[in-house]
Amino acid sequence: MRPRTSPLLAGWAWLVYAFLYLPMLVLIVFSFNDSRFGATWEGFTTRWYGVLFARSDVREALTNTLLVAVSSTLISTVLGTLVGFALWRYTLRWRTPLTFLLVMPIVIPDVVMGVMLLMFYALVRGGLERAGWTFENGFWTVMFAHVTFQISYVTLTVRSRLAGYGQDLMEAAADLGANTFQAFRQVILPLALPGVLSGALLAFTLSLDDFVVTYFTSGSGFRTLPVLIYTSVKRGVTPDINALSTLLIVFTAAVIVAGSLLLRPRRGRA
Amino acid sequence: MRRAAWLLAGLLLTGCHRVERADPASEGNGTTTPPPVSRDGGQTLRVFMWSDYIDPEVVRDFEKREGVRVVIDTFESNENMLAKLQGGGASYDLATPSNYVVQTMVRAQLLQPMDKAKLSNFGNVAAGFLNPNFDPGNTYTVPYQFAATGLAYNSGRYVPPAESWRLIFGPEDRVRFALLDDPREVIGAALKYLGHSVNSTDVEELRAARDLLRRTVRKRGFESFSGGPETRNKLLAGQIDLGQIYVGDLLQGAAEDKRLKVFLPREGTTISTDTLVLLRGSPNPALARRFVDYVLEPEVSAAISNYTYYGNPNRAAQPLLDPFLRSQKAFSPSPEDFSSGRVEFINELPRGVAPRLYDRIWTELKSR
Repeated sequence: MRPRTSPLLAGWAWLVYAFLYLPMLVLIVFSFNDSRFGATWEGFTTRWYGVLFARSDVREALTNTLLVAVSSTLISTVLGTLVGFALWRYTLRWRTPLTFLLVMPIVIPDVVMGVMLLMFYALVRGGLERAGWTFENGFWTVMFAHVTFQISYVTLTVRSRLAGYGQDLMEAAADLGANTFQAFRQVILPLALPGVLSGALLAFTLSLDDFVVTYFTSGSGFRTLPVLIYTSVKRGVTPDINALSTLLIVFTAAVIVAGSLLLRPRRGRA
Repeated sequence: MRRAAWLLAGLLLTGCHRVERADPASEGNGTTTPPPVSRDGGQTLRVFMWSDYIDPEVVRDFEKREGVRVVIDTFESNENMLAKLQGGGASYDLATPSNYVVQTMVRAQLLQPMDKAKLSNFGNVAAGFLNPNFDPGNTYTVPYQFAATGLAYNSGRYVPPAESWRLIFGPEDRVRFALLDDPREVIGAALKYLGHSVNSTDVEELRAARDLLRRTVRKRGFESFSGGPETRNKLLAGQIDLGQIYVGDLLQGAAEDKRLKVFLPREGTTISTDTLVLLRGSPNPALARRFVDYVLEPEVSAAISNYTYYGNPNRAAQPLLDPFLRSQKAFSPSPEDFSSGRVEFINELPRGVAPRLYDRIWTELKSR
C-alpha cells in the first residue's frame, strides 16, 4: 500500500510546476500579441507566424540546425553505444581515466569547450593548409563539435542501462554458438535499446539547443537557430522570435512525448 | 551545469523501467553521411555585425550592383566577437566593433588599415566623428552608426520638469527610474552630473561618483539596471518614470508609440560609435573597401539609419533621414555638443588604477 501524498506537498509540487511552466505559457501567449514590443497586450494576431515563415534566414538556420542535429546524433549514438558496450564488457586497464574523460565534456563549461574546439580547428586548419588543403569552419566543424559532447551522454546512458546485467549473458550466448559480434547484436543491443534511444534523444535535443559551442565553431555564414536567436537578444527580441520559440517548445515537447512512448515498459511479453 | 541536468534526466528515463525481454530483431546502425554544404562559386563578402543592424534592402542592392553575395553573421557582445575573431575560426572581411574595443583589436593585430584614400566617400563623415581618440587619423575605422545615451520617459504618464540628470541623481526620491546595465554608462552619467569627464581617471572624482551612485541606488525610486528594449517596455507598462537608454533603442519604440520620448540631459552624456573595420584575415579586402565606400554614400547611410533608428555620422546623409528622426533632438547631438565636450565618447581606460576603480564601483553597486 503506497502512502497518500500530503496536500501540503501536493500544493508545493503544483507551485513548482507553475514556476517552471508559467514563463513558457507567457511566451506562447505573447507570440499571439499584436504589439511590436510585447510589453502590453494589444489584441490577438497570428501575423508573427506569417512574418516568421517569410524569413529566409530563419528557414536556412532551421535547416542547418536539423542537419547538424540529425547527423551528429546518428554518429554519436553509434560510437557512444559501442563505447558503452566496451566499458561494460571488458575490464580495461585504463578504465578510470577513460571514464574521467567521458565525464569531462559534461562538466566542462560550454565556453571553455567552445574556445578549445575553436583553437583545435585553427590548429588543424594550419596543418592542412601547409599540406595544400583548405577548409573552413562550418557544417562539419559544428557537427563534430556536437559529437564530442554527445558521445559522453550516449555512452553514460547505455552503460547505466547495461550495468544491471551480468556477463553471464555473453557467456550464454557464446554457449549457443554466437561470436562476440552476434551476441552484441542479438542479445545486448536489444537489451540496451532503451538506453540507446534515450541517449540519442538526449543528444538530439542537446544539439538542437546548443548555442555556445556552435557559436564558436561555426565559422562564417553558417548559422543555427539558437545562434540566430541568441544574437538577436541584444537589440530586443522581435515578436516573430516568440513565435519561433513557441514552435520549438511544441516540437521539443513532441519529441519528448514520442520518446517516452517509445520507452514505455512493455508488459505481457515475458 | 545545464548539460549535467540533462544527463540526470536521461539517466532517470532509462533507469526507471527495465525491459524484461525485447525483440531480438533490431535495426543495424548505419552511419549516414550528411550532405555537403553547398559553396558559392562567386565572390562573397562576409560581414560580422550586431543583429538587425543594416537594412536588408541596402545589402540586396550591393549584391546586385557588384554581382556578389553578402553573408552577414551576427554577434551579441563585443567580447564574444573578439573571442571568435581571436580564435581564428572564421574568416570575415568586415566587423562592427564599438569604439571602446577598437584599440584592443589593433593591439591584438586583428585589423588592417582601412586605407581611406581608397574611399571616395570618406569626405561625407561628419566632423565630430573624424580623428576620434580611439583611432587617431581614422587609420582603422570608419564610423558606422552611433548611440548617444539619453533619458527616456512616457509622456502619457510622466512629464519630467527638467532635461537634467538631476531628476535621477538629485535629492528627489519619488521618481522611479532604471539605469543601463553597463558600468561605463552608469558611472559616466554620474561623472557628467558632477561636471567631470566620462573618461575620468582621477581618484577623487571617481570617489565622488561612487558616493553619488551609492545614494542613488538606495533611493526608493531606483528600479533596476536594465538594457534598452527592457527599459522601453517598462516605460510603456508604467513601471518606471525615467530610464537611461541608448537613444536608438528608444526611438525604435517611439516610432510606434508617440508617447515615448527621450532627451539628452543638459549636463552632458556619453556616446559610443560602432565602426566598420577591415579584418586582417579578410579574404577579399578590395571588395570590403568597396562595401565601406558604398555604406558611406548618403542614400545608403540614410537608409541604414532609417531602418535601425541609430545615430547617423554621415554629414551628407542628414537631409535624407526620416523626418521623424530629424525631428528628434536627441537623435543627433549638434557639432557644438561635440566640440564643447558635452557629449563625450567612452574611451578605453589606460592601464593602471582606473579600470580597477571602475570595476570596484560597479561591483559594489550591483551587489548592493
